Amino acid sequence: MEGLVIALFICLVLLIITKYWSWPVIPFYILAGIALGTSGLKLVAPDAISAFLSELGLIFLLFYMGLEIKPDRILSNQKTFFSSGIIDLNINLVIGFVASYALGFSLQESLVIASAFFISSTAMAVASLIENKKLLMRESETIVWMMVFEDIVLIIFLTLLSTSMSNPLFLIGKLAAVLFLFYVVTRYGKRWIQKVINREDELPVFLTFSAVICIAFVSQAIGLPETLMVIAFGAALASTDPRSFELQARPFKDVFLIIFFVFFGIGVDFSGGFPLFVIVAISALAIASKLVSGLIIGRVVHGQAGSGVEIWANTIGRGEFSIALASLYGSAVVSAAIAAMVIITSVIGSFTAKYSGTFSRLFDKARNKNKPSNGTMVN
Amino acid sequence: MALRSINLPGIGTKYELVTDKNDTVAIFFLKNGNIQMYTLPHEGQTPCVAELTPSEARRLGAIMTGAIMESDQESVEIAFSALSDLRISIHTYMIGKSMAGRGIEDLQIRAKTGVTIIAISRGDKNVVNPSPDFVFKEGDAVVAIGETDQLRNFEREYMVE
Repeated sequence: MEGLVIALFICLVLLIITKYWSWPVIPFYILAGIALGTSGLKLVAPDAISAFLSELGLIFLLFYMGLEIKPDRILSNQKTFFSSGIIDLNINLVIGFVASYALGFSLQESLVIASAFFISSTAMAVASLIENKKLLMRESETIVWMMVFEDIVLIIFLTLLSTSMSNPLFLIGKLAAVLFLFYVVTRYGKRWIQKVINREDELPVFLTFSAVICIAFVSQAIGLPETLMVIAFGAALASTDPRSFELQARPFKDVFLIIFFVFFGIGVDFSGGFPLFVIVAISALAIASKLVSGLIIGRVVHGQAGSGVEIWANTIGRGEFSIALASLYGSAVVSAAIAAMVIITSVIGSFTAKYSGTFSRLFDKARNKNKPSNGTMVN
Repeated sequence: MALRSINLPGIGTKYELVTDKNDTVAIFFLKNGNIQMYTLPHEGQTPCVAELTPSEARRLGAIMTGAIMESDQESVEIAFSALSDLRISIHTYMIGKSMAGRGIEDLQIRAKTGVTIIAISRGDKNVVNPSPDFVFKEGDAVVAIGETDQLRNFEREYMVE
């Protein structure tokens, strides 16, 4: 228990410092965890309480993500959504997979690393666009849609990675039954849910908290991956009153996710050897492959590769979802490699996001030496 | 003038307006409640940004609707164009030492200047339509209504210490 208190206190200090300087905070939680835990000072060891709280962090992250899935919005932006998303997926997943396989990971491990390698941090990208006041850039919308696409791909990854461990047909059948149940409940109970979630007393917050935990528990009991179930639950509730649910779920997500990150760091184990070369190679490739995909997306979506530099600069950081994948499916070595990749890419990513304007101007200048630069803002 | 709005997942709602002169104004209602306003001149490349709290945004909006003209002195002029251009000014003043302890009737504000005191704000309490025997305290904020000339008289008569 005192380990948890130490970890919480350090996270609080880190949070205050990083918010003051507008840095991304996720890598610091993980670094602090590494310093405190198994690979560091061994001050804090994971126990049953921290494991439970970390799990809450993960399921509330995924539940919150589910709430954000609104098919009607996606359908109104199909073109950008699919073209940018598919380029992003293909290039990064392939480079990530080939690289990790070449570095000697097994097929299964390479798949986990490639997924974590592909998926940028939505939280960091959104925060960087808002904090660096870049929302007006036309690339911003592309970036936001890319993040939504990545989230949806994550759901597919989670399905694939969990089906590989049991009978896929049986699982899909059960999943379909549950989804149908969610659909029926939110369809016919919509009025009631909307009424209850907007009450002023403690009912909405407790309903959100207990419903998500119950869903996660029930899914374990009936042998379904809880990750998928809470996302599906969130997506089903998104058809009732997503804003109110977000409001209620957010405190749980914010608090437990911090515990999740720091205890992920605490659990990182470099005792199997510190694969320095692997870490550097994967992190460098993670940055380079987003540049390649960014440039192509800039070309295809905005007709200008310079836009791609802007897209790249804001999507380098890997974060919450990469760590989630590592904690769910990664072995010790894989988790260590992903943790290092998240730390390196998110620190570099916050720097590139801040100075992206300069980068893309330099890039345009270098490309069209004779033509005047076009700039990357809307006009 | 082209206006479009779009919901951006994770960010909020965006309204983008391209003016007839091809300048761009974009407003983002962020999830944290704040509002970012971008303006971009049509030949420019770097937009200017301001981040506003909801109350600041409401004030800005009120100014821009044109019904209200606000200066740093907190004066508001309302023009009713349908009523042969009737103009009424509303002004706020802080009560100083000279008026403290005296009542509205006692000071003969309306008789001398034509100005009517329509509201008083004291601390976090407001009094609307105060009775004539209302007694001022130092530090009260009063809202006075009248024509611009009448308000000027009021300032000359009472506000000069």
